Amino acid sequence: MSEATPASKPEAKKIPRPLPRVNAYMDTRPFWQAANNGKLLIQYCKESGKPQWYPRPVSLATGRRNLEWREVCGRGKVYSWTVTYSAWPGHEDRVPYICALVELDEGVRMLANLLNVKGEDVKIGMPVQLCWERLSDEINYPAFEPVTPR
Amino acid sequence: MTKRKDIAVIGYGETKITLRGGRSSYDLAGEVLEQIVNQTGIDPRQIDGLSIAETMSETANPFWGVFMCEQLGLSPTWMQVNGLGGASGTGGIARAAAAIRDGLCETVLVLASDAQSSARPTDQGAHRYEFMYPTGLRGPVGSFGLLTQRYRHQYRLKDEALAKLAVTQRRHALMNPNACDKLRVPLTEADYLNSKYVSEPLRMLDSVMVCDGANGVLVTSTANAKKLGAKKMIHPIGYGEITNFKGSEMLVDITESGFTVAGPKALAQAGMTPRDIRMIMPYDDFLIAILLTFEHVGFCGRGEGSEFILNTDLSYKGTLPLNTSGGQISAGQPGLAGGGLNLVEAVRQMFGEAGERQVSDPRNAMVTGIGVIPYGRNWGVSTVLILEQS
Repeated sequence: MSEATPASKPEAKKIPRPLPRVNAYMDTRPFWQAANNGKLLIQYCKESGKPQWYPRPVSLATGRRNLEWREVCGRGKVYSWTVTYSAWPGHEDRVPYICALVELDEGVRMLANLLNVKGEDVKIGMPVQLCWERLSDEINYPAFEPVTPR
Repeated sequence: MTKRKDIAVIGYGETKITLRGGRSSYDLAGEVLEQIVNQTGIDPRQIDGLSIAETMSETANPFWGVFMCEQLGLSPTWMQVNGLGGASGTGGIARAAAAIRDGLCETVLVLASDAQSSARPTDQGAHRYEFMYPTGLRGPVGSFGLLTQRYRHQYRLKDEALAKLAVTQRRHALMNPNACDKLRVPLTEADYLNSKYVSEPLRMLDSVMVCDGANGVLVTSTANAKKLGAKKMIHPIGYGEITNFKGSEMLVDITESGFTVAGPKALAQAGMTPRDIRMIMPYDDFLIAILLTFEHVGFCGRGEGSEFILNTDLSYKGTLPLNTSGGQISAGQPGLAGGGLNLVEAVRQMFGEAGERQVSDPRNAMVTGIGVIPYGRNWGVSTVLILEQS
């Protein structure tokens, strides 16, 4: 894999939790605007009707740019998860924290934090629901939590 | 494609692997060239091709490949920078072979050099800053944590099988003077099992330590190898590769790799089955990658990796010697030159130059490459190369 594992030197300055770089590799403004209002959007291919996540510049089904944003219901299941003890830089204050691949009911998987649950209580297949973490005035970041009985 | 032996590997070189050694990737590469020149007696001016792996330490420099030519005094008529991550070494041989067969060049230095542990972290942008890094997923370690957790759910993963891999490779590293000194200390199964979780269920000793180092092989046509009077030569006889396996699908099985495609393709080209493979040098960024390689290439069925490992003698004296120089996990991962580490060891073994860890019957070897961690998928690049003696 040979990917960068930033050398964590003891004397290194602590960096704050990174905010997402919005609208950097393609136009994701509709996603973040909706997120700010508590709505989770994903991309759909208008021709094939297939959903995709993360946002891409083309439909993975057709290679064309005939795409639209649609709101999803915010429910899904845990596909896999990991408890991070050794933090990625900027996340030191959060350890231990859980990163998971959540399979949304609409048929995509989203990498997200699982909140309001401990590692020992997480199970693959466990139903989860959307919740949000407000990281700044502009950024409401999607996360998931166990489905609460109603 | 049928088996051919028209391409030959006639030399190899490798630096010692160091942790934050402070030398540049150009300087390290120079050491590899010198070794190859001394070993083969080739005049460097006869090297008319360069197939060079991308680096972490120089990746911000878009002229890396040409600068390397300038530093080494090479004037290739064909040059390619291979951005396949850890698969760049095996992929670099395949590309060199194609270029030679197409007449673009005759003799290619397949080179990898990276001073990653001495360099600043790279910027691996695109979607990661928006949809990956804010979650705090710990890079490759986090992604392999997700993969391992899922594998445990779908199949049976025995920790003692991973412990056996860790110990086997460490024993091999103890016999490898090029292995990073920090890793050349004995390791027991208990050490592995007691090693702390980094990204549970992944332990510290499941993964590589990023280092500095360089390696390379010299590739030419078999006809030219004879003309040059090459004393030793081996041949690439089978190759398979795939990038972004099942890339148009959303709900892929993250435990399934591109080796399911690349493995059978390489074996078919070589006219072999896994039983014919004499030694295996799999890309090992994480121990579970070795287990998945066995399953996906076809040494055993899906979910049978743990049993296969526990029932197979993987030592250098065994029935299927594994990463006999220690692999990246026990010799150190010289950044993106890591893919060349196990490749060079295969060549060294087949040349009969592996010293106290020499395999008794090194007639062939399988070498694999893995590159890059994608979003919510198995690894990004899978390569499988089969080498055979003349």
